[in-house]
Amino acid sequence: MRAARVRSWAAWSPGIEDRDAWRAWCEEPKELAREGRPAANFLPPLLRRRCSGLARIMLSAAFDCCEPEVRAQVATVFASRHGNINESIELLERLARGQALSPTRFSHSVHNAQAGLYSIAADNRQASSSIAAQEDTFGSGWIEALTLLARDPRRPVLLVVGDVPLAATFAALVDEPETSYALALLLEADAPGVGVRIALEHGAPQARRPRWPDALEFLRWFLSDAPRLSLACGRRRWVWERTA
Amino acid sequence: MTIASPRTASSLAALGMVNALGRDTGEIWRRLLAADQSHFRLRDDLVPERRLWIGEVEGELPRIPARLRRYACRNNALTLAALEQIESVIAEAIAAVGRDRVGVVMGTSTSGVSDAEAAIRHRERTGRLAEEFDYDQLEFGGAAGFIAHLLEIEGPAYTISTACSSGARSLASARELIDLGICDAVIAGATDSICGLTANGFSALQVVADGITNPCSANRAGLTLGEGSAIFLVMRGGRGVQLLGVGESSEAHHMSAPDPAGQGAEQAMSAALRDADMAASAIAYLNLHGTGTSLNDVMECAAIGRVFSALPPCSSTKSLVGHTLGAAGAMEAGFCWLMLQAICAGVMPLIPHAYDGVRDPELVPVSLVTPGQQCPAGPVMTNSFGFGGNNCTLVLASASA
Repeated sequence: MRAARVRSWAAWSPGIEDRDAWRAWCEEPKELAREGRPAANFLPPLLRRRCSGLARIMLSAAFDCCEPEVRAQVATVFASRHGNINESIELLERLARGQALSPTRFSHSVHNAQAGLYSIAADNRQASSSIAAQEDTFGSGWIEALTLLARDPRRPVLLVVGDVPLAATFAALVDEPETSYALALLLEADAPGVGVRIALEHGAPQARRPRWPDALEFLRWFLSDAPRLSLACGRRRWVWERTA
Repeated sequence: MTIASPRTASSLAALGMVNALGRDTGEIWRRLLAADQSHFRLRDDLVPERRLWIGEVEGELPRIPARLRRYACRNNALTLAALEQIESVIAEAIAAVGRDRVGVVMGTSTSGVSDAEAAIRHRERTGRLAEEFDYDQLEFGGAAGFIAHLLEIEGPAYTISTACSSGARSLASARELIDLGICDAVIAGATDSICGLTANGFSALQVVADGITNPCSANRAGLTLGEGSAIFLVMRGGRGVQLLGVGESSEAHHMSAPDPAGQGAEQAMSAALRDADMAASAIAYLNLHGTGTSLNDVMECAAIGRVFSALPPCSSTKSLVGHTLGAAGAMEAGFCWLMLQAICAGVMPLIPHAYDGVRDPELVPVSLVTPGQQCPAGPVMTNSFGFGGNNCTLVLASASA
C-alpha cells in the first residue's frame, strides 16, 4: 500500500487545544473531557451559530492544521463515525411528536455538513469526501485520503477525523471512548515531512477495548519513537509504519 | 469508437439494481426505455398535511439473515435485493482473489433512518426503543459494514455520505482502491430508502414537487423522492464497461442550494473529461442530475452550455425513478452501464427524457432525448450534484464498443 507524508497536524479536545498541550497529553495521557466546543472565531458569525458542536471541533482542527494560503488548495476527507447524527436524532424526535422541521437545521444535520462548511469558510472548491466506517472510521478515512491523493498526486489532502459522544437515546447501544475530539492531518504524496505507510493485516480476531479514539492513538504514536502502530479491529489490524 | 488506452486497470463487471421501476436490471431497462411513470404512488403518511408522489420499491424485500439481525433495516434489505442479483459473480470474485483483497465502498444519505424513526415513535409511546432496533442500522458506516459481514469480506469497508453525490463517489473510490493495489475487487454502489426525515427536510426546504417531477420544463416545481439500490462488482482488469473519468468539485457557496451560475457543475464535468483524457465532443450521451428544482436545472443547463460546444443528447432519469438521493449517483451510473451493455452494431439506445414537453425558454438549451432515439455508440457522462455543494461527474465507456 502507498505511503503518504504528514506535512502538518492539529487536534482539538476540550482543554487540549494547541500543539504543546497535545504533546504533553501524548507523553502522559489523561482522561479526556466528554463535552465542550471551541470558539471557532474564524467562522463568519451566521455560519458559526448554525454549526453543530462537532462541526466547530472538526473545522477548528482543519483550520489549525493548514496555513491560510493552503486552505483553499487541498482536497478534503471528513471522517466521523457518528457525524451529526445527534442533530438528526433531535429532528427525528420532533417528527415523532408531529412537529415541523427547520430547513436550516436539516441542512446542517447531513453527514457532509462539515465538508460544506469548510468549503464555504475556506473558499475551497476542491474534491471532498465524507465517510463513516463504524469502529474502523479512522483507518478508513486514511484509505479514502489515499484515493484522493491517487486521483491528483500534486494536490495535498486534508484528513479530518472527529466525533462527539452519541446522544443519550442511543448511547447504550455503542461501546467506545466517549469524548469530543478532532484530529486533522495534512497528507501529501511526495513532499518533505514524515512518511507513513498504512497496511491492513489479517489474522485471528482480537478483542480490543480502546482507551482512546484511534485518531488519538495514532497521534501518540506519530509523536513517539515507536516504529509501528497496530490497532486491532475484528479479524484485521490497521498497521502504520514510518518510511525512510 | 475505440478507447485506445484505458487509464484504469479496472472494469465494472456486474450490476445488481432495485428501484421503483423494478426488481432486476432487465425489467428496469425495459421500463426506462418506455419512459414508464406509472409506478409512482401518492403517500400521505410522510409529511403532515401533504401528499407526495414517491418512487418506492413495492413488495416484500429479502430477509436479512438472523446472524446479522443488528443490521436488519429497510436500507440494508434494499442493498440485499440488489446484491442477490450478482451473488454468484461476487462469490467467484472472492474465491479468485481472496476475501482480504475485496473491499466495500457504499454510498448512502439515509442508512436506516426509517427504522430509527419507528424505534423513536415506539419510545414516545412506551418509554423504550423498539426491541428490534440497533445502532448498526442507523449509523452510516453500517451500510458498508452490513455487506462486509454478510459476505465475510476483510478488505477496507466504508460508507461515503456526501448527499446526492455519495453513489458516484463510491465508484470513484473503488477504482482508486484497485489502482493503488489495495484491493483486487470492490463491491461499490449505493442505497437510499424513503424516510420521514428526508421527506420532511426537503419539503421544509421547499424543493419537493406536488406532482411528479418535471425536469427542464417551464412548469417544473421541484423534485420527487425515490429509493433503491445499485451495486457494482468492480474488478481489476476486464474488458467490459470502465470508469474512465472522475471529476469533482466543491462549491464554496451554500449549504443547501447550488451556485446559480453552475460553476461547480462546470468544474466537475470539465475535470471528468480531463481525467478521462477526452474532448467534450467525444461524449455520446449525458445523464443529467436533472432534479426538476428551479435552481438545479437552470445552473446545470448553463454549465452544459459552457462545457459542450456541440450538445450531446441528454436526459434526466429522476422523472422515472424519483431522486434516490445518496443512491442516485450509483443508480444513474447503473443506467449508463445498461445503455453501454445494450450497444448493438455500433448503435446505442438512449433513455428518453420524460417530462410534459413544455420547454423552459429561460434555460440554456440542451438536447433532450425523445422516445426511441438512438445514437452512435460512445462514452457517456453522468452528473451528480450534492447538497452542501458536493459535485461528482463520471465518464463511463465500453472498452469493446
